[in-house]
Amino acid sequence: MPELYVPAQLEDALGFMGEHAGLALPVAGGTDVLIDLRIGRATPKWLVDLSPLEALAGLAFDGETLRIGALTRIRTIELDAEVARRAPAVVEAARVLGSVQIRTMATVGGNICHATPSAEMPPALLVHDAVATVAGPDGERSLSLSELFSGPGKTTLENSELLTAVTLRAPKERSGSCYLRQTVRWSMDLAGVGVAAAVETDGAVVTGARVALCAVAPVPLLVAEAADAVVGTELTTETAVEAAARAAAACSPITDARGTAEYRRQVVAVLVARALRIAWLRATGEWPAGVPAPINGVLSGEGA
Amino acid sequence: MRLELTVNRDPYRREVAPDASLLTVLRDDLGLTGTKWGCMTGDCGACTVLVDGEPVVSCLQLAQQVQGGEVTTVEGLGRDGELGDIQAAFVRNGAAQCGFCTPGMIVAAEALLRHNAAAGEAEIREGLAGNLCRCTGYNKIVDAVLEVGRARSAAT
Repeated sequence: MPELYVPAQLEDALGFMGEHAGLALPVAGGTDVLIDLRIGRATPKWLVDLSPLEALAGLAFDGETLRIGALTRIRTIELDAEVARRAPAVVEAARVLGSVQIRTMATVGGNICHATPSAEMPPALLVHDAVATVAGPDGERSLSLSELFSGPGKTTLENSELLTAVTLRAPKERSGSCYLRQTVRWSMDLAGVGVAAAVETDGAVVTGARVALCAVAPVPLLVAEAADAVVGTELTTETAVEAAARAAAACSPITDARGTAEYRRQVVAVLVARALRIAWLRATGEWPAGVPAPINGVLSGEGA
Repeated sequence: MRLELTVNRDPYRREVAPDASLLTVLRDDLGLTGTKWGCMTGDCGACTVLVDGEPVVSCLQLAQQVQGGEVTTVEGLGRDGELGDIQAAFVRNGAAQCGFCTPGMIVAAEALLRHNAAAGEAEIREGLAGNLCRCTGYNKIVDAVLEVGRARSAAT
């Protein structure tokens, strides 16, 4: 049975984790950690309760960037109108994660640092150029969010480091994003495939794009070559399908209960095209404000 | 470790294991067995309680993280021996079969209606997606929640 350390402030938590390197496991919302403890996947000597570190919770807008504290609850993100306006993909990922109960407890930092390959938040954050802020014994450092992941359940964080925030770039005029996923069940399921896309436009021409995937590789994947396929073009079916084919080629899914590797690859090829299309409709103002995307990306009047 | 919290408006102080879940504290230390021990992985929702008014699955809630908090269980939704409105609607609509999911269902419905009393059927089904009924009696549960939502909306 692990002991519980309750820090008063961030420095205490970092110091304690450094002193008990490899033996101390931070707990934020606990929705992953308590399961890991129960099934023996984690066997720490100490749990470090992050909940007193209230400065790490909450959303901060400075007119340009959006800073999401690592302890911000998924439910807070789901319900925030400003996040929905600036980064619709992030809200769409948040609203399909677990149940209301899980979202009320789970934090964005926990969803990132548990590094589950199917975690919903990372691809949505990646298409908004999320920068991770990490605190350690020698102060803070920043890295792109994709550099934080090193494998299933593994991050590049040192034992004495904690993720404190992710910061999204300022949304450009005429930009849009979207998160779609394939699941066996519509609720309370992990993504079989998750896809986020973001585009910026000038007129009808795409001037910038991002495509990111989850559940189809050991780590969440930002696929630059897929996004490049639509940049400089008016988003057409052909260019979206080319981007999707590149994403499908770049991923490396496994076969498990949620689908075979081959099936997942084909789903990537479908969802990336749909996600780019919806992101583009948002960027060009053709998508009604505040309306979430259908989670599989099928627009009314179109076949599945 | 010392744990102080308020449950259903009553203050409690107990010594609990550092890694104890809120569920085990409620059931084993406080004797409030209305909250059910289901899957213990956060999937079934039978252990749903409110912490500071928001719904959580108490099986995955570290009790120490609720230090000083206010917890509402199904036992706290009635008053003075009278059933709460959602409990009464569940009875009227026959929304309980074996009854095991019922406490979690009722607490989750309370959270849902506090957030949106005008919730329609789709919103109710989505809001209760984290609560599994293995008897599959969902239709009557949805009917009961719709009925309370309409009554609460009319009363305000």
